[in-house]
Amino acid sequence: MACPYCDFVKRPISGDAPDEFTEALCREIAEFEGPGEARSIFFGGGTPSLLSERGFARIFEALHHRFEIAEGGSSSRSTAGAQSSIGRAGARPSQIEITSHPEITIEVNPDDVTPERARFWRGLGVNRLSLGVQSFDDVVLKFLGRCHDTEAARRACGVIGDQFENWGVDLIFGAKPPSAWAASVAECVRFAPPHVSTYGLTYEERTPFWKQRHEAVGDDDALAQYRHAMDALGAAGYEHYEVSNFARTGFESAHNLIYWRNEEYAGFGPGAVSYLGGVRARNLSRIDTYLTRPGEKEESLALSARETKVETLIQHFRTRAGIEHAAYRARFGSEIEEDFGDAIRTLAARGLIADDGGRLSPTRRGYELNNEIGLALV
Amino acid sequence: MTTPIENIRNFSIIAHIDHGKSTLADRLLEVTKTIDKRLMKEQTLDSMDIERERGITIKSVAVRMNYKSKDGKDYVLNLIDTPGHVDFAYEVSRSLAACEGALLLVDATQGVEAQTLANAYKAIEQHLEIIPVINKIDLASADVESARRQFTDIVGLDGSRAVLASGKSGLGVEDILEAIVERIPPPKGDRKAPLRALIFDAVYNDYRGVIVYLRVVEGRIAAGFKVKMMSNDEKYEVIEVGSLTPQMRAAEDLEAGEVGYMICNIRSLDKTKIGDTVTDLLKPATEALPGYSEPKPVVFCGMYPAADTDYMQLRDALDRLRLNDCSFSFQADSSDALGLGYRLGFLGLLHMEIVQERLEREFGLTLVTTVPNVSYRVTLTSGEVMEIENASKMPPSNEIDVTEEPYIEADIMVPTQYLSAVIDLCKKKRGIHIRVDYIDANRCMAIYQMPLAEIVLDFYDKLKTYTRGYGSLEYRILGYRPGDLVKLDIMLNGDRVDALSCIVHRDRAAIVGRGLAAKLQKLIPRQQFEIAIQAAIGGKIIVRETVKSMGKNVTAKCYGGDISRKRKLLEKQKAGKKRMKQVGSVEVPQEAFMALLKVDDDGA
Ligand SMILES: Nc1nc2c(ncn2[C@@H]2O[C@H](COP(=O)(O)OP(=O)(O)O)[C@@H](O)[C@H]2O)c(=O)[nH]1
Repeated sequence: MACPYCDFVKRPISGDAPDEFTEALCREIAEFEGPGEARSIFFGGGTPSLLSERGFARIFEALHHRFEIAEGGSSSRSTAGAQSSIGRAGARPSQIEITSHPEITIEVNPDDVTPERARFWRGLGVNRLSLGVQSFDDVVLKFLGRCHDTEAARRACGVIGDQFENWGVDLIFGAKPPSAWAASVAECVRFAPPHVSTYGLTYEERTPFWKQRHEAVGDDDALAQYRHAMDALGAAGYEHYEVSNFARTGFESAHNLIYWRNEEYAGFGPGAVSYLGGVRARNLSRIDTYLTRPGEKEESLALSARETKVETLIQHFRTRAGIEHAAYRARFGSEIEEDFGDAIRTLAARGLIADDGGRLSPTRRGYELNNEIGLALV
Repeated sequence: MTTPIENIRNFSIIAHIDHGKSTLADRLLEVTKTIDKRLMKEQTLDSMDIERERGITIKSVAVRMNYKSKDGKDYVLNLIDTPGHVDFAYEVSRSLAACEGALLLVDATQGVEAQTLANAYKAIEQHLEIIPVINKIDLASADVESARRQFTDIVGLDGSRAVLASGKSGLGVEDILEAIVERIPPPKGDRKAPLRALIFDAVYNDYRGVIVYLRVVEGRIAAGFKVKMMSNDEKYEVIEVGSLTPQMRAAEDLEAGEVGYMICNIRSLDKTKIGDTVTDLLKPATEALPGYSEPKPVVFCGMYPAADTDYMQLRDALDRLRLNDCSFSFQADSSDALGLGYRLGFLGLLHMEIVQERLEREFGLTLVTTVPNVSYRVTLTSGEVMEIENASKMPPSNEIDVTEEPYIEADIMVPTQYLSAVIDLCKKKRGIHIRVDYIDANRCMAIYQMPLAEIVLDFYDKLKTYTRGYGSLEYRILGYRPGDLVKLDIMLNGDRVDALSCIVHRDRAAIVGRGLAAKLQKLIPRQQFEIAIQAAIGGKIIVRETVKSMGKNVTAKCYGGDISRKRKLLEKQKAGKKRMKQVGSVEVPQEAFMALLKVDDDGA
């Protein structure tokens, strides 16, 4: 089930391993020494369907035991300091957010979706589904090394659309053939998911895909595809609220917004990353060592004030909303101008960000060249 | 340490590069027990790191060996090392001036090469006793008889008297030592006469100041002596004299015929003139020894601090480096594109690379270097004559009467089957055919006069390619000759970039201009906005290339929330940009300033 382009932590599954894994994960959650409230959960990084239903239920139980995830809870986002996240396969952690509607997302592949499973997930309290469709074109799916075909993708969209109000489709551009992109986007729009993510294919080192990087679609083609997505999804009424994400109003991913605002979260699972108390830390990423020492960190980085500011700005500039001068001042007690004046001025002159007086936000070009913003800030 | 003068032998080893000079030198030190075999670093005489890494000798040094000959007497053998690369050819003459004899080494698998000949002629000019040595005879492909014939026919020595040796296996090393004792005459020189010592080299040492290497020709010198330099009357008191074994070992004195070092509180190398004569202040000699002309830089380039290095750091580093290499020159310069920096002059391209590498390695600088050029002599219509070492300083063509460039005469030795390739190459490099000497059935020497500018860039590498490594080269500077030269300018987004200007021959200007623009187009990375690259000759644009604007540069996902990882990646990327120079609105990578070197003869 592993995607060849994905560098998330993976493991082969055999025999009793999943149960061993579930137990380790539950142990990590139970022993977590951090805040006790959570406002969103995200099961990410792969295919929760690989877990048995029992295992799934166990993890939910552990979460409810450890965290207060009150339905209709009263704490507002700004005061809730606690998040917890679960990355089943690790690197895409999950979050629990205490709001009137805590967002509980799972990320699934089309092949794993059946009406019965969907009902089971809902029964556990899952209220948001992210479907890894990637493409509605079989040649592209082959190119990407996916197991599912377009038939499965369509079926899954139908099932999820029937049972969930809040769901999203992931699409990948920059794959071959580029000509298939427009049709994939159009078909996605026809299924009308309230949320669409479009990720540019990247060739990460240490993935099987790395060997194929010479086959990559040209920079100009990739840009054209990205622009097409912006135009087509914009015309269909989606708000391009983050570099890679589009949503109908009210359906932005609460979980991901935590990252983009550089707020705190806890990650559970091998290789999962947490950001708590100003420390960014990563769990052991090898499955075997994780199983014996869940929750142990392989790297912990206490961020300096400057690093925190840089990361906060980089993240906010991924979002349409950008950052409010007042919010920055409230968070850091200084002005963006005094901390990053030169970089901000250069970026504005280059047309990558705009200042409306109240907030700084990326332009459309600033989305396309988002890393240039980061480069100017570091 | 008085050694009877008749028991001293002063000699050098001269050879074409890679014929085994360093290996043999090590073996001599080992056999004479000058250095303990266990302590011996490979190739002891090449002491600078860069020398050892590149396998070349830059600075000559002298070593004293003791040898008990088969005649039962104890001899002192002073080996005076010589540099092995053409850039430093002048240093060979310096070293030879301190000797009475030389080993002329030839690789038995290669035979006589251009440098073998050039060095042999230098030794003959100085009336040295030359001992031919046929080296690497341990190799199966060694052709001893052919090497003998070449010594006789090409060099004009008696090949039948050549010593056969292998520096690697040690075979014949004793024979070499015996031949040195037997055939090289002892030094002559009156030890009672007023002091005259020839300075053949000097190095700077952080603790001891300048260490002067000298050969005492007449009289004696000892610690406490008051001495003066005959060229400039600078006076010093001698603190220490001694010999190199190769570590410095202090001695009571040095007498006529001996070779050693002197320390006398000289603070910087430019106070020491190589070739100068040291004499006794109280009992001065009347006439200085014949010196030698100082080498003049022939290749120039600009060096500018990259973003993270500042100008002052560069200045300090140059001052310090100059303490132990006074063969390069530098003066402050500024470029619109690159800011404040220096214009440096070198003996050759290798010398330039070495200096740059030392500045970066020993002083931790990051530098942007411009394409090297020769110095041009320009006579203005007003009659004023200027030397131009920086292409961007070339006056407008309407003010110029004559432009001249330095010419050299090159001896290129090749197997005959490559002669036509070499002739082609020389033609492309504006060479003037002088003659071809046939050396034997298989080899010949092509003699060409050509502009130095054509040699300094890439001639040597090209020659190696054209001749599958068999061609060898030696050259002498002839002087200035008029040439139809024009200035080639490069513009980025319409602004002339002075650091990319160069001077080229009119016939080739268009080809080079197109080639350079094409190379720059590949070297300059895509940036936010489109970049126009134009090449212009005399203000007229001949070609335009475009670097398209950057398409997309965005990280789609956030590494599972590992925002710090992304920040670190960005920081790394930014550090990689340090070698980029902001020229107007364009970021230009350091390699772009050297792009000219990569432009082929046919402009590709
Ligand atoms: N087989 C063999 N190789 C040798 C001999 N002398 C030197 N070499 C090799 O030839 C190469 C050049 O030798 P080196 O002493 O550095 O030459 P230099 O440039 O003249 O100082 C090295 O790879 C040596 O190991 C020898 O007598 N026999």
